[in-house]
Amino acid sequence: MHMDAFKLTRRQTLAGAGATAMALATRPLWAASAAPITIVINQSPWFDSFRRTVVRYEEETGNKVELDVNPFAGSLEKQRNSVRAANGSYDLLIMNSGWFAEMYAGGFVEAISDIDPGFTLDSDVYTLGNTIYFDPKTRAMTPAGKLMSIPVQPNVPMLYYRGDLYKEAGLKEPETFAELEANAKALHRPPSRYGIVQRGARGTHTVSYDFYPYLYGRGGGIFRDQNVGDYTVTLANDVGVAALEYYIHLAKEAGHPQTASMDQAEVIQNVLTGKAAHVMVVIAAASQMDDKNKSAVVDKIEFAPPPHLPGLPTAPALGHWLGGVSKNVPDDRKRAAVEFLRWFQTKDAQLHYAKSGGIPISAAPYSDPIAEERVNRWMKPLSKALPHAVNIYQFPEAAEVIAVLDLGLNRAISGEIEPAAALNGMADEIQAIVAKHGYKTGRA
Amino acid sequence: MPIGEPRAVASSGKRGSLLDDQVWRWATFAPALLFMLGLSVLPLVNLVATSFHQVSWVGASAVWQPVGTAHYEALPNDPLFRAGLLNTVIFAVSAVGGQMVLGFALALLCSRIRGGRIFYRTIFILPILIPGIVIGAIWKLMLNFDFGLVNKIVSLFGLMPHDWLGSPATALFSVIIVDIWHWTPFCFLLFLAGLESLPQDVYEAAQIDGANRWQELRYVTVPLMVPTIVVTFAFRLVLAFKVFDEVYLLTGGGPGTSTEVISFTLYQRFFTEDRVGYGSAMGVAVIFLVSLLLVVALNTRRKREGMA
Repeated sequence: MHMDAFKLTRRQTLAGAGATAMALATRPLWAASAAPITIVINQSPWFDSFRRTVVRYEEETGNKVELDVNPFAGSLEKQRNSVRAANGSYDLLIMNSGWFAEMYAGGFVEAISDIDPGFTLDSDVYTLGNTIYFDPKTRAMTPAGKLMSIPVQPNVPMLYYRGDLYKEAGLKEPETFAELEANAKALHRPPSRYGIVQRGARGTHTVSYDFYPYLYGRGGGIFRDQNVGDYTVTLANDVGVAALEYYIHLAKEAGHPQTASMDQAEVIQNVLTGKAAHVMVVIAAASQMDDKNKSAVVDKIEFAPPPHLPGLPTAPALGHWLGGVSKNVPDDRKRAAVEFLRWFQTKDAQLHYAKSGGIPISAAPYSDPIAEERVNRWMKPLSKALPHAVNIYQFPEAAEVIAVLDLGLNRAISGEIEPAAALNGMADEIQAIVAKHGYKTGRA
Repeated sequence: MPIGEPRAVASSGKRGSLLDDQVWRWATFAPALLFMLGLSVLPLVNLVATSFHQVSWVGASAVWQPVGTAHYEALPNDPLFRAGLLNTVIFAVSAVGGQMVLGFALALLCSRIRGGRIFYRTIFILPILIPGIVIGAIWKLMLNFDFGLVNKIVSLFGLMPHDWLGSPATALFSVIIVDIWHWTPFCFLLFLAGLESLPQDVYEAAQIDGANRWQELRYVTVPLMVPTIVVTFAFRLVLAFKVFDEVYLLTGGGPGTSTEVISFTLYQRFFTEDRVGYGSAMGVAVIFLVSLLLVVALNTRRKREGMA
């Protein structure tokens, strides 16, 4: 083709340059350097709110984000495959509390402060047991370490209860385990309605996650103090036995006969169909309660921090999700992932996340007028619970311990073995696991 | 020129030609053989090699630490492995036994029906055409405590609903029933094909000798069907030993270890807990056990054929 065909007149050239300048001027500033990124994420009850927030990010910045959505276990497997390859497929890893320690300690996540030394964590963002930090030398999660991730979903279990039934029966919101039991028994009408529906099935992190508030709310725990490297197993002490006996007692007296095979989806299904007076599930399920297409209990569910023993604080276990940047992706994509996280932690983004049904990771929306809206009635109880949230695992081999707990607890709940025997067996196995990996351990 | 010389030349020419043939055969066959060996043997060699190591991740790199036979020595002390092995044997024997009996009975019935063949065969083979994930959904709904069809039927008879998948007493039994429902059509199809290919003159001879229907079945049909029965049994037994999807979808191995099967234990150890070395040792053990089953089953068939 002859080059003369591309010749432009002076007027055309000026008009083109003007149009280009206009286009550049109207584009958001931070879109200029952000490469497209891929986020690997799980299909959880809160996913849709995250997706909508990502759409907002794309609209505001012009940056492109691709979401790779997977089931819970599938997401972990994809993340492992990606970070262990020479070149990663995913730029931003949405990591669960069950495996982020594995990602930190394995060296798969690049510190945000290394990618962008100027990055500042918004002071309103919850640090969730300091799990966003990691010190590779001490293998501890402490602010003395580097900033490794930003929270994406501050999931903790909350007590969901039927406010309408409470009003009819003249009951008071339960704060202690004794009050929970009394209220659950008062509303127990099997088989049409159960006082409480618990998540007792064996799974990837199923019954163990349901059990933590009962254990930690009594002042118990699995290890003595992971923060100082003391992995002495305390699970089978008197507090642990009392916690498991109470859990089973509650299931027998006011629970669902199928407790031993109940997973999270079935527990949520029970509350949505009006068959459960109480459940203790992640706060991420709150938005479903008022969804007219799904719920038979619209506007009837109230929320409270998980009950505890008198004199002790509530102790919801962190089952949160963190966003960390993969180490084995190109630098421009790392920077683009950090740009997304920088935007995600802002108050505007968090307000949009809350309005889309998500759970904000920043304290700002909890003091905003939207927290007063009836549809967001979970926000105040959650803001009371979050400061007491407990990080259960700080070590990368947590998956082995969770497998032991899920099996042992399920065996006790199904009646296959006595609670004390189950706890002793689990404690022995957990001690062997942490000893094998070189942690200071013992039994207490 | 000696008389024999042309013959020797001819003979050596024939040998040369045979040698050329053999070389040519091997030259053309070798790439395919190497490819197949690479596909089947290399992964196994890799699995076996991994099973003698502890694999961990430091600084985003894999660290392989030799542990000798430690993983194999740990297998018998693994409570999940033991429970998985026992349940797998119970599951495989019960499920395959049920499928064989039902499949054979259905095939006998259907072999005598002449009309509507396409219709009943389509109905019977439907379960094996359904993807495993759908089977899981179907039976999870059927066996649901609150609104499952099975408990609805049970309550029609004035009985209390039962937690089929959540009770240690019935969970494995329920999974076995689902597997029988799923795989009986497979046995049915093989048996029906076997029955329809049996020689009719033997039956005519039996009828002339005055054999009744039971005697026909006992002394003609079953002996003639033995090779088909053995092959079907071996095939199904190996597949039953590898059961995973039904357990994963319906019970997750629970309650407790009631429905723990060996493939699920392997999944748990290798993938969930990320114990690559130990999981590989378990994988090698499972492959050994399945191969052993296959060898025993095929030897039984050979012995039966030898006796015949």
